[in-house]
Amino acid sequence: MLLLAFSLVCCVANASADAQTPVTLAEVQQELKLAAEDVETLQSDILQEKHLAMFAETLRSTGRFIFARPDRLRWEMLKPVASGFVLQGEAGTRWNALSKEVGHFNISADPVMGMVAQQLLAWARVDLDWLNERYSMELICTQPVTLHLLPRDPGEAQMIESLSIVFAPDRSHVAEVVMREQGGDYTRMSFSSVQVNAPLPPTTFEAPKF
Amino acid sequence: MQLAGRLYQRLQAKRGWLLLFLILGVALALYNLRTLKVEENIAAMLPDGGSTVARDFALLQQAPFARKVAIHVQLCSGVAAATDEHVLAHATSELCAALPSPLFLNPVSGPAQLGGMGMLRELGIYLPRLATSEDLTQVEQRLQRPQMEHYLVRAVEQLLQPQGIMLKQQVQQDPLALDTLALAKMQHLNPIPRVAVRQGHFFSRDGRSTLILVDTKVEITDSAGARQLEQAFMQACSVLPPEVKADMVSAHAYTLANARVIEADVQRVLLFSALGILLVFALVLRSLRALAVYLLPLLAMLGATQITAGVFGTISGITLGFGAVLLGITIDFALHVYFALRHGDDPVFIRLQAVARPVSFGAFTTMAAFALLLSSDLPGQRQLAVFAISGIGLALLLALVVLPHFIIPLRAPLAGAPREKSARLNRPWMRAGVMVFWFAGMVAGAWQVPNLHINGSLRQLSYMPPELLDAEQRLAHNWGEMRGRALIFAAAPELELALQRNEQVWQVLHERGLSTGAVSVAPLLCSMHTQDAHLQRWESFWKLHLPTAKARLEQQAARHGFAPGAFAPFWERVHTQPPVLDTAQVRKWGLGQMLDALILEDVATDAPGYKVLTLVPDSPEIVALLAPVVEKMPGITLVSQSRFGIQLADVIGTDFKRFILGAGMAVLLLLVVLFRRPLRVLLALVPVVTGLVAMYGGMGWLGLELNLFNIVTSILIIGLGVDYGIFMVCQGQEHTNLATTRAIVLSGITTLIGFGVLVLAQHPALHSIGITVVLGISAAVPAAVLVIPALQGGTMPITKGTRCTR
Repeated sequence: MLLLAFSLVCCVANASADAQTPVTLAEVQQELKLAAEDVETLQSDILQEKHLAMFAETLRSTGRFIFARPDRLRWEMLKPVASGFVLQGEAGTRWNALSKEVGHFNISADPVMGMVAQQLLAWARVDLDWLNERYSMELICTQPVTLHLLPRDPGEAQMIESLSIVFAPDRSHVAEVVMREQGGDYTRMSFSSVQVNAPLPPTTFEAPKF
Repeated sequence: MQLAGRLYQRLQAKRGWLLLFLILGVALALYNLRTLKVEENIAAMLPDGGSTVARDFALLQQAPFARKVAIHVQLCSGVAAATDEHVLAHATSELCAALPSPLFLNPVSGPAQLGGMGMLRELGIYLPRLATSEDLTQVEQRLQRPQMEHYLVRAVEQLLQPQGIMLKQQVQQDPLALDTLALAKMQHLNPIPRVAVRQGHFFSRDGRSTLILVDTKVEITDSAGARQLEQAFMQACSVLPPEVKADMVSAHAYTLANARVIEADVQRVLLFSALGILLVFALVLRSLRALAVYLLPLLAMLGATQITAGVFGTISGITLGFGAVLLGITIDFALHVYFALRHGDDPVFIRLQAVARPVSFGAFTTMAAFALLLSSDLPGQRQLAVFAISGIGLALLLALVVLPHFIIPLRAPLAGAPREKSARLNRPWMRAGVMVFWFAGMVAGAWQVPNLHINGSLRQLSYMPPELLDAEQRLAHNWGEMRGRALIFAAAPELELALQRNEQVWQVLHERGLSTGAVSVAPLLCSMHTQDAHLQRWESFWKLHLPTAKARLEQQAARHGFAPGAFAPFWERVHTQPPVLDTAQVRKWGLGQMLDALILEDVATDAPGYKVLTLVPDSPEIVALLAPVVEKMPGITLVSQSRFGIQLADVIGTDFKRFILGAGMAVLLLLVVLFRRPLRVLLALVPVVTGLVAMYGGMGWLGLELNLFNIVTSILIIGLGVDYGIFMVCQGQEHTNLATTRAIVLSGITTLIGFGVLVLAQHPALHSIGITVVLGISAAVPAAVLVIPALQGGTMPITKGTRCTR
């Protein structure tokens, strides 16, 4: 709740700076769609902070996130443990550099990876239709655009309390996601050094070889 | 055989009544044909009763996919799998929906809705009841420092991934991934070896095909039902987009293909043989009266059908088809009577008496040979024996009692005396030539007889259309050998005992390193007895290891940043005693289809009970390794397609020797009764021996194998060959001109035409019969008309008291 209150304070401060900002969720969504529709590729660094009760301290990890329209992803943690996955369509490969394990998966047969992939793709594509379908959405702030999402599916709601999505100032991509779990644990993912539509090496969506 | 002459004289004045009775009989038989029940079941050609082969055949039908219809939906070549996967998935759903009920029942194109994470989590709870001593060894290893470290690092890594949120609870409950030991029990449940599940459908690994499994009430031997099934399938396929095609692979497709090819073959064969024989009759006999000769086999067949159906209740299509061809030989009786009565100077009744003895003995020897088939283990062969014996008996009756009244003797005697033909062999060089040629032929044939092998494969007797074989190969290539596996049945009156026996089978497979490719419920669904034993062992294990393990995990967890008590749910779970894992729970997890495929409940039989199946690769090595071990275990039966063929070949081989020896003895006995002189008996056997050597030797030269139908063909050659021998030897003894040589040559020609056209048949069984009969008869006829006279020295001296007529 502290985080949500902090977001609200930031929003109020920024809102006064721009009196022309649209105020309805529909208008904001329309703007977000327009801003994201030209995005073909995205690359960014990730900083992830996990506040989990089962850990004595906050788990911090860093890595890279790469997306190419329509459905290719690379999510890679580099520190403290090098691991991650790539996805092309429905087929994916995940790896763990420590154990040098590489495994293949298909999101239609792996419900957990299916849910993760859909979520990440929705953020990367700014797929508001998909998000609207699964979550009830509230506009918290317009500068930067911050949406507060509550799961509609009771099953998902048993696990996830809410999502807060903060968009970049130009609204073309997501800058931060905070995922709150039932029970108080939460995860913050910040996307920095973002490159939009930069060319990607052909091997981007291939798993590393050990 | 004065009886035939007397009967002829008595009935001479009552020909009208005779004809009326005949017409009434035929009309009644034709009327009864309406209710005739013809069965098309290959089981008729398999041993019945308590034989191992019969039992194995019945068990093979209970294989998980034996009665299923497999529909293989594929992307056409040139269509990219990756981009069109959704097209294929959609087409599969559409086709499933378009398959009409009740022809197609319960179409399944993907796994049942599994319990997802719930099932995976619950399965882990049952680990105390499933863990074997090997599993506990693995648990012990994971409790050691290096492995514990490995699993904790992996837990941190998993929690750092986006999916970590969903794995958090799992990590707390099972940080050492002990659930994987329970999950490993599932890997032996998949009866489709090369399956991937995408978009809810079974996908092949290359993503180019999907699979639909359907039940049907249509029996696999029902050709009419198979035709309906095919038509309905073709119609349903109209929903497929142009880039997707579908094959239906099932035993029904083979039944239909065989029915079609037999239908086409029978039409062609009957047309050609009927025309051929008619042509021979027109050229040689040149009389409308000869039509009576032509009709005699048809009447015999009609009567034999009635008698066989009366004895057995139904008649097998195989018996009817093969028997109909078989009874074509009865035209020989009619031909001998016809020639004897048409040509000659003696009164008709005298000539009838003269011909009646060889004709009767010929018929009796053939009937005796076929009578041996009555003791066959194969119901189809027993039925065929009744059909042949009754048909030959009727034909004999018609030939000696009815036919003579429809034959008008020629006024002028037949040019040339009966011994005139053989008189041509009076010159020694000609006899020597015949003997040398015959001897050389016999040696050449006998040389190849040892190369003849018996093939018990039922597939060899079936027509296998190339397109169906291709479809089956594509199915096996894409999905693995799901249809051709050896089956091990663990049977018991109670499920608990059946499961215990199944575990013993699994133990044997495990010990011999054969469990990798096997499909079994044993690892997952143990008997209650075994589950209790596992639980007891689990509790003892933790009693011993708990204090050390707990301290070590706490210490290691702290090193990786975990909070104290992070794994309290794990220790709680270790002490939880799960309920017994039963079939109801497994069904709740969506594994009902798998259970139904691997656990069979017999409720309809006299001895209700359960059979639990284990599937293993059907290779001769594996079967040879397992059979001696598992078959000693109570309630366990191993059946395999490959071994079934070998067993059937053994049965055929044993039957073959028994029948050939038995037929030979019966024929010999009748010949001794008829001729009473060893030399004449041996002479009469010349066509039989020549025919058999030519047949087996010819098959050896041509690389053909002996099959189920060749047993009957052999008996046919024995019957026909001995007929020729009897007629030729009798001819040498008769004063009366019976035109025997001509009759034999003509009957040989008609037999060759009747059976020879079978060589043109597409169906392998009919083709095989055609080739073997042609080989045998084309040697038996020259042996009769040339070799016997040559051995007799041109003519046989007539000795009073040993003539064929009395």
